[in-house]
Amino acid sequence: MMARRSKPLKAPDKLVFLLSFVPYLLEQRVVDVTEAAQHFGMTEDEIRDAVRLIATSGLPGSTGTYQPNDLFDIDWDSFEDDDVIVIVHHVAIDDAPRLSAREAAALMAGLQYLSASPESAGSASLASLRAKLAAGASSAPSRLAVAETEADASLALIREAVAEGRQLEFDYLNARGERGRRRADPLRIISQDADWYLQAYCHTREDVRNFRVDRMSDLLLTDEPVGDHSHRIVPDTLFQGSDSDLDVVVDVSPAALPLLSDYLADSSSREVDGRLRVTLRLAHVHGLKRLVAGLPGLVTVVSPPEARAAVADWASAGLAGYSERGSAESEARPSRPDDGSA
Amino acid sequence: MIAPVSGASRKGEPRIPVEDRLFSLVLALLATEAGLLKAEILSSVRGYAERYDDSGQNANLERQFERDKDDIRELGIPLETVESPDRPGDNQALRYRIPKGLYDLPDEVRFTPDELALLGLAAEVWREASLSADSQRALTKLRSLGIEPREPVIGYAPRLRVRDAAFEPLRQALDRRQSVRFRYFKPGEGAPRERTVDPLAVVLHEGRWHLHAFDRDAQDPRTFLLSRIIGPVEPVPGMTFDAPPADIQDRILAELDELRSRNAADLAVTSGSDAEVRLGRRAVLRDEDAGVIRLHYTDVAVFADELAAYGPEVRVIAPESLREAVRERLAIVVAAHRGGGVE
Repeated sequence: MMARRSKPLKAPDKLVFLLSFVPYLLEQRVVDVTEAAQHFGMTEDEIRDAVRLIATSGLPGSTGTYQPNDLFDIDWDSFEDDDVIVIVHHVAIDDAPRLSAREAAALMAGLQYLSASPESAGSASLASLRAKLAAGASSAPSRLAVAETEADASLALIREAVAEGRQLEFDYLNARGERGRRRADPLRIISQDADWYLQAYCHTREDVRNFRVDRMSDLLLTDEPVGDHSHRIVPDTLFQGSDSDLDVVVDVSPAALPLLSDYLADSSSREVDGRLRVTLRLAHVHGLKRLVAGLPGLVTVVSPPEARAAVADWASAGLAGYSERGSAESEARPSRPDDGSA
Repeated sequence: MIAPVSGASRKGEPRIPVEDRLFSLVLALLATEAGLLKAEILSSVRGYAERYDDSGQNANLERQFERDKDDIRELGIPLETVESPDRPGDNQALRYRIPKGLYDLPDEVRFTPDELALLGLAAEVWREASLSADSQRALTKLRSLGIEPREPVIGYAPRLRVRDAAFEPLRQALDRRQSVRFRYFKPGEGAPRERTVDPLAVVLHEGRWHLHAFDRDAQDPRTFLLSRIIGPVEPVPGMTFDAPPADIQDRILAELDELRSRNAADLAVTSGSDAEVRLGRRAVLRDEDAGVIRLHYTDVAVFADELAAYGPEVRVIAPESLREAVRERLAIVVAAHRGGGVE
């Protein structure tokens, strides 16, 4: 199941693995160490260690002395000679363990988030899958939920382009406010919370770029195949540094610091009048002014002066829109796009 | 997996790794129908028995057993305590067991390769440590069914982050039905105020995490934004509450949707701007010629923050409350950045 892991497992995780490994081995009857390792996303040595542990485990029995008949047993010859696991005697467990309330809830909420993606095969199947998870939990799943949102209409088309390896053409408005027609080889769709991005090789820029899906319009799925980009590194993060980046010193209210985590240049901070002084790294001042204006009162730019001025100008220009006494009545009211009536 | 641990027990045998002890305990408790006494467990189950003192000095071991029980229950394993019918209230007569019927995954809970692929993707969604760990454990359990998932979806990486520090303590309180105390900053109030609540549900709506809870002081249910919780969320010792209805989280989401559909804003957006492109996607009504769009929103303060980020690209026409909130935010940003920087 493609489990990837970087940290060593903690004891409770190891326990869950042992309790899951036994019924798997019983179900499979005969299984290679390699195959088992792949299935559980573990190393072969971890699998062999677990087999040895299981083979010597069991019940204390009435005498409290772990007699052979109260222990698991495996075909040791197959194991030692052929790296093949066969349980020949088992005790106490034979079935998969139930999910905990928290485990079920985590997957159920994750599925709700996926409802916005083109990958989910319709909300009906998601609902039945969620019901199954709830039925598989040992107590009522935690009351955790993610509002299901509608997928952006462009996503399905982009998904198709990625899956079929076809080039995309679209209008793009970048963060600097420049609009242009782009042609790109789509590589991967990434989402972050409510925002969707396409990572693609841009023919115009001749490099891999992240495009915000909500800034793309007039998409065209071409018949041109994408080029070979196997040599290119598609970054795993949405925000990458470059030499032209701008370092900006800001004071941030401690509670708002997590909101800046994508932009922190380093982990250093010092306290200044109850706020934290940190350095942010951004591609350009256009991103900065939007970021700071969206966190009013929580973030203040200290330096450089140009960055401070850019934020001040941005907010002043916004404020100016409210200074003249424009009455709401004289404004145009929006109408329905389809029939033109309000 | 069996890590050799340095240091030996009193009997000179190598120390039993934690997972070995926990595994042995689960096996022993699954195999018993009547349940085992604590003394039986400590004196016979591997991992305890090696350290068991026949003369009765087992306080450390007993504490170990208490922690192990908690750890096992946290994993969703239904470890039960049974009182002796003859000696109710006598702790030494308590029996422990794991009923097999409650432990085994029900037969009807089986998954197709497609469903498993989707669950694998759902687990990848979480960037937050505890949700990610819970998801991965769930997947490990489901792998025991031996079904190979359909090839994982390539070129696709959905992610959801939780950046509110209050999230994890609240999720724990939710599971343990434990009342908590925190300071909450409500817009319009001058200072944060302490609240004591029973957490009932945590939901993500419009990109914000909300807590629905019963407010003990107000004696009424309330919905809080996690981002406005200031400082730590602390459990109130000894204060617990009954399980809320199973579908409460869906009800709260429906309420928030309802609230959202009642609030509409008319916005003038600059043609060709980021605001026009991005906010325009969410418009329910639009007047192309005048550059005016109508959007629904849930919370004035939250939406005003979002609109302020667009600076001059968007101007609120109505309602007045939102207009004022955005104006006020822009004024704050201007004031904070007026003149030279401090250094």
